[in-house]
Parts: sequence; C-alpha cells; structure tokens
Amino acid sequence: MKIAVTGKGGSGKTTTSAALARTLARRGLAVVALDCDTNPNLGISLGVGDQETERLLTLRERLDEGGVEHAPGWDELMERFGTDAPDGVRLGVITRIENPEPG
Amino acid sequence: MAFMGKGGSGKSTIAGTFARLLARRGEPVLALDSDPLPGLPYGLGVEVDDRPIPDDAVVEGPEGGPRWVLAPGIGPADVIERYAVECPDGVRYLQFGNTSGEIWAVQRAQFAWSETVHGLDRSTWSLVGDLPGGTRQAMFGWAKYADCALLVVEPTAKSLHTARRLLHLDRAEWGPTTIGVVANKVRDEADVVRIEDRLDRAVMVRVPWSSAVVEGDRHAGAPLDVDPDGSFVAEVDGLVDRLVPAYDRDVEVS
Repeated sequence: MKIAVTGKGGSGKTTTSAALARTLARRGLAVVALDCDTNPNLGISLGVGDQETERLLTLRERLDEGGVEHAPGWDELMERFGTDAPDGVRLGVITRIENPEPG
Repeated sequence: MAFMGKGGSGKSTIAGTFARLLARRGEPVLALDSDPLPGLPYGLGVEVDDRPIPDDAVVEGPEGGPRWVLAPGIGPADVIERYAVECPDGVRYLQFGNTSGEIWAVQRAQFAWSETVHGLDRSTWSLVGDLPGGTRQAMFGWAKYADCALLVVEPTAKSLHTARRLLHLDRAEWGPTTIGVVANKVRDEADVVRIEDRLDRAVMVRVPWSSAVVEGDRHAGAPLDVDPDGSFVAEVDGLVDRLVPAYDRDVEVS
C-alpha cells in the first residue's frame, strides 16, 4: 500500500501523515515514512525530535553540496538518509533541500 | 515588504490586513500574490478567484530574452491600471491567476507579473507581497522586490523549523536588507520566548491568538471586516507604524 497526503499549508498534512504511519506500524505493518517536502519537518510530527529532524536535513543538504555520495538503491538510501522513528516506522528525507539561489 | 513563512502561519491574513492599514495612511499600495493558489484575497476581504494578466497583454519575448513579455504599448503602470483588482481602502491587488492543475497554465501571466513588479515606479507604489507557504519561492528569489522580509511564525515546532530555514536568506547577496519576525497566534509570554530562543532573534511584533479572526476565516471574512477593533488588527497596525517611518526615511529598522 502506498499513501500520499496532500493539501493546503497548515491544514495538517504532516501531522496526519505521521499519525497514519505510526498507526499502521502499530498494526504490524512495515512502514516507511517519506518526507517529500522541500522544507522537511515530518520528523517533528513523528516524534523523532527537532535535533534529529535537523540532522537528516543537514545530511541531505550535504548530498546537494557534493559532500556525500548518492545512495545507489532503496535499501542504502533508507539506511543512510533515514532514521528510526517510534513504533518501528523508518523515516527518510528524500527531496532536495532548498537554500538561497545564487545571483 | 514580503510576507513569508510556513503554510497556515497566517501570512495572507496578516499581509492583507497590513496592506489595507498601510493604504489608510494614504500610501498607494499594491498587494502582490505570487501563490498559484492565491490566499491573499481572503486577507484583503475581496472575492477574487482567477484573475490573471490576460493572454492578449503578453507576447513571446525576444530571442535570448524572457520567454514572455508584456505586449508592446503595455507598461507596468498600465497593467496595474487595467488588471489589478480594486480592494477596500484603495489597495490594488495583482495575482497571476489560479491553477488547480498544470502550473504551465499560469506561466504566461507569471512572466508578466514579474515584469510588472520589477518595472514599477518604486517611488509611487508601496509593495506588500504574500508568498506561498514554505521555502521554495523565497529561496528562488521571488521576493527580490522586497527590502524587508517579514517571517510569519506561530509558536509551533514545525513553523519554527520553516522560519529557521528562511533565515538563510541572510546569506543571499540579493536577499532582503531586513528580516523581521512576526509572531502570530501568540497566547502568552512563553510563546514569544520559545520563538526568540529557537530563532535567536527578537520578535518584531506579537499578533495574539484571536478566535474572532479564526471564526472569520471559516466564512471568508477578513480581520478588518469581522473584527476591526480587535487585538489582531491593533497589532498589525502597530507593525505598520513601526515599518512605515523606517522605509519612508530609508533608515535601518531596529
């Protein structure tokens, strides 16, 4: 099963996604939560905390800066750019992070 | 100025109120919406859904230049005169249309919008912009017209997280000269402390949580129309007071 949550800013997409992911995991499903926002904060709603959310973001950012290598496949991607969230959910930050463009 | 911040933090509501209060002081105000799903009309108190700069005012650009340009004989002032919507208190409002589908549908009007904004006589118009939620447009330089970026932040972890990212605009050479923090939906002093700690910046204005404003939002009523004497409007009015002299005299905002 693959679920995408969408809607206006502030309507509760992230909060709903996080609750869905953890609820499904509690029912025994293997759940991956993907943050596809260019300003990712799903980690906060999942309960991994501010710092860990920021760490994932910084890690993804270093990829854009050429500081780290791309992951060649799904497993390695989730391993390197993901973190464990409560209830056994695995969180991955997979979008490009935005910074001010030059010029 | 340009209002930015996380979705739902109150950018459009504050920007619309700010634009009208500024106009009441006698300034010609142009309210600028760069959201392809525009929310600023609700803050201004007008019913505008889809009002792009029309296709016949936009032609293909020259070789090597922008993809689309304003048609010959149409300048930025004409665009405002013809296509900017008249709002309460004399504010004019410019959007590039509403897209519920393909972003390409508004591309032509987007180019014309941009040419208009950057070509306007800045000594005549005060610009009050409202960006879509998140960081994308801000990071791409959509608010280059603004001397002052106003970060609207509510005291929640996610809103603060977005605001922290937006503070990176400080690093951009083309970035705004001032970034002001507008705390919204403030319930108590602890909310302000949390915001200032997390952003490591002083809050410029504290806009209180207002059930009247929230109730108005349910029925598409702008704060100035549903609760004109309330604390929300009073605080935004204070923000106008604070910013107007600074930009009129071109001095640094403290």
